[in-house]
Amino acid sequence: MDMISEISSLFGLNVYTDKGIYVGKVEDVVIDLEKRQIRGLALKEYNKSIIDSNASGVILPYRIVKSVGDIIIVKDVFWVKKSEESNKESEEIKGFEELEQVIEVE
Amino acid sequence: MILAKSLSKKVVLLSDGTVVGRVYNLTVDLRTGLLVDLIVKPQTEIPEIVKDDGLYVIPFDSVKSISDYVVVDRKRLRR
Repeated sequence: MDMISEISSLFGLNVYTDKGIYVGKVEDVVIDLEKRQIRGLALKEYNKSIIDSNASGVILPYRIVKSVGDIIIVKDVFWVKKSEESNKESEEIKGFEELEQVIEVE
Repeated sequence: MILAKSLSKKVVLLSDGTVVGRVYNLTVDLRTGLLVDLIVKPQTEIPEIVKDDGLYVIPFDSVKSISDYVVVDRKRLRR
């Protein structure tokens, strides 16, 4: 995964964990302009049996992405909603709830 | 924080007010997530901007700010 690619190539890709569990589909990509870096993947369609959220979309942190090709593979982890306090930052992204990783499943 | 799709078609200006064009795409390093270049559909001929396949390729380092417009620092355009 050592490649420069157009950001739009991520739109619509399916996301699976490295254990083969379906996570969701990429709707958009969240950019951190200060760090000039991708902050996360915004999923509109997501697997509610592994992500505990009622939001119309969720944001996965980009650091858990392992590889990008025909699909996206992320680390198999549990996710929780970011606390109200730390989630203020992402209020501008309407309809998406930012998740953070708690425990890695081994 | 912004969504990538919200950047699409934003007007790109140089710091001296010159209109460059509209945002067409962004390139990223998928491994690190770092933004590499802003790809812009040209509206004005600006000799110091690198062109590839008819589109301007502007290193993200020279992007000064993004809100209603994308502002590029003219002095930092040369790689």
